[in-house]
Amino acid sequence: MSLLWLRVAVVLYGIAALAVLPAALYNRPRWRHVALPAALAGAFFHFVSITETLYAAHRALPVDTHETLSMLGLLLAASFLLLAAKYKTVSFGIFLLPVVVLMTIVPAFRPGHETIAYPFIRTGWLLLHVALLLAAYAALFLSLIASLLYLIQERRLKQKRTIPKRSWLPPLETTDQIALKALLFGLPCMTAGLLIGSVVALQTIGPAFFADPKVLLSLAMWIAYMLMIFIRQHSGLRGRRAVYLSSFVFLVVLAVWSANALSAVHRFRAP
Amino acid sequence: MSQIKQSGSLLLLGVNHTTAPIDVRERLAIPISRLADATRTLAHQPGVREAMILSTCNRVELLTVQDDSQPVATTPLGLLNFLHDYLSLPAAEVRPHVYEFREREAIRHLFRVASSLDSMVVGEPQILGQVKESWNVAREVGAVSSMLDPLLQRAFSVAKRVRTETHIGSSSVSIASVAAELARKIFGSLAGKTVLIVGAGKMSDLAARHLIQQGATTLLVSNRTEARAEKIADSLRTPAITTGVIPFEQLHEQSHRADIVITSTGAGQVFTPEQARALLHRRRNRPVFFIDIAVPRDVAPEINNLEGCFVYDMDDLQQLAAQNQAVRSREAEAAETIVTKEVARYTDRLSQAPAIAAIKELQLSAEAVRQQELARTAARLATQPLTPEQQAAIEALTKSLTAKLLHSQLTALRSEIVSGDDQES
Repeated sequence: MSLLWLRVAVVLYGIAALAVLPAALYNRPRWRHVALPAALAGAFFHFVSITETLYAAHRALPVDTHETLSMLGLLLAASFLLLAAKYKTVSFGIFLLPVVVLMTIVPAFRPGHETIAYPFIRTGWLLLHVALLLAAYAALFLSLIASLLYLIQERRLKQKRTIPKRSWLPPLETTDQIALKALLFGLPCMTAGLLIGSVVALQTIGPAFFADPKVLLSLAMWIAYMLMIFIRQHSGLRGRRAVYLSSFVFLVVLAVWSANALSAVHRFRAP
Repeated sequence: MSQIKQSGSLLLLGVNHTTAPIDVRERLAIPISRLADATRTLAHQPGVREAMILSTCNRVELLTVQDDSQPVATTPLGLLNFLHDYLSLPAAEVRPHVYEFREREAIRHLFRVASSLDSMVVGEPQILGQVKESWNVAREVGAVSSMLDPLLQRAFSVAKRVRTETHIGSSSVSIASVAAELARKIFGSLAGKTVLIVGAGKMSDLAARHLIQQGATTLLVSNRTEARAEKIADSLRTPAITTGVIPFEQLHEQSHRADIVITSTGAGQVFTPEQARALLHRRRNRPVFFIDIAVPRDVAPEINNLEGCFVYDMDDLQQLAAQNQAVRSREAEAAETIVTKEVARYTDRLSQAPAIAAIKELQLSAEAVRQQELARTAARLATQPLTPEQQAAIEALTKSLTAKLLHSQLTALRSEIVSGDDQES
């Protein structure tokens, strides 16, 4: 049943991803009334699907790549809805919603069969570790999109061609605020997530845990993340250079993500 | 049109920016504080049954419904005399500038005015609010009723239709509003933003006022003559606006305080790329918007290449305003089509109104006769009251008889309405 809800969610996200294009790019407010309810309903069914899956498996956290992707997709969908509610803009959906569709379409139609074979899989601390890190990844991705939108709007304003009153791009200051707030939200999430993970791993695996490639990369990711916020806050980095910096940190995050293949601790194994 | 003819005729007299120079318009203008009294006075003119006055900086219009049944119907000259009596303005002085619309043309003109098609800046949004304000005043003093009330409500829905179905008001067409629009693209809300005026000029003053209207809360002025700067700052200071003067020699040390810089010195190169870099550094790269309305330009155009600096000179602003004006003109054509259709629909409805009223009247009088006869019969049978079943049977019988007797007349009247609808579609 949970798979059915996830498939319904994928269809609804797909509708939202298509409807957001005319709503944002062609200033068609009617399409906004399609995109937002579809995304909201998609997020609801997505949440139901994840809850049902975890409840049926008697565990509280995702144990394979597909489930993790799906959870990250839900967080991104939720951040799209939050932005639409707070800043009255659906522009972020142009980038966020297709990514959400991609993140949910694979688990919806080809569910994973991997698992982590550790006894602590049911602990609340580990759930917190995973949830906080996923929130940090979602925040970073959001910040990257906001920086990209900033760049596009800045270019348009510098080219001095037209100023459509209902431009699909939010004002520069708004996108800048979103980018920075997302990062400031992501940093404590990432810090707490990594700390919790380290304490749990230290108790269950021991000091060998710190030699794990994923753990080392995670430390590098945290440093990069913190440096990026420091540079943005202190030099007021915006525009092109902010996009470069966010992209670099995003690449580090992708490296951390893919380091599961090299990690003894995080590798998902088939049962 | 027959209803207008039957119960009164519509007459609209007025002057606007195309027919009268400003000195005539300002003498005719009726301030909002006197509008209620003026409307009441107009409505009490002989032969005037309903009245409304629209008075804005670009137009003064008297919209009246004339009572044709009265022997002393007010002529256009009579209405001009009202202006003479009320504003002490000789009718002969006003007459050459006055336009006059009657019946269908008056409806059309009202729809065009409410939709901002007759405005000096086509598509500007204020006029609809002004018409609504005049209507409210007229309602408060009881000067509008069965004819003007529905007409004005229709005018508002036509204006709304024009706004939603065309992009007539979607872009700024004045230099000042283009600048404000651009500022909103950069900063979003202008609340809490600081505007710096460098140099004293009418245009910079106007642009600053526009930005203040949009929410900017702090205004700084810098001018070679400090007294002049202080005068400008004083003129723009309000309880909600903080103003200040920056000595011209300290301009570069303090200009980082401003989010928007309006320059109009014409001295050339007041801001060079190096100075702009220093300014950005002090602002920690927060964006700054230069509006350069000076000729020769005060802001080096290369500054626009710096990240975080946006430079728009007079040509850029004029070009954007012209583009938007062209868009508005295209949209105005579509809006005119909507107005034409709405005028036709409204006048058709008016022409059908007598038939609808006749149907209602016929049904009411037939029902009255039926009730009378029923009462008479009930009185006659008072000694032998009818059972409820018998009463119901008589009720049904009389209703059926009345309906059959009226059938042919009602059918004829309804077909008249339907044929009107067909013509309309």
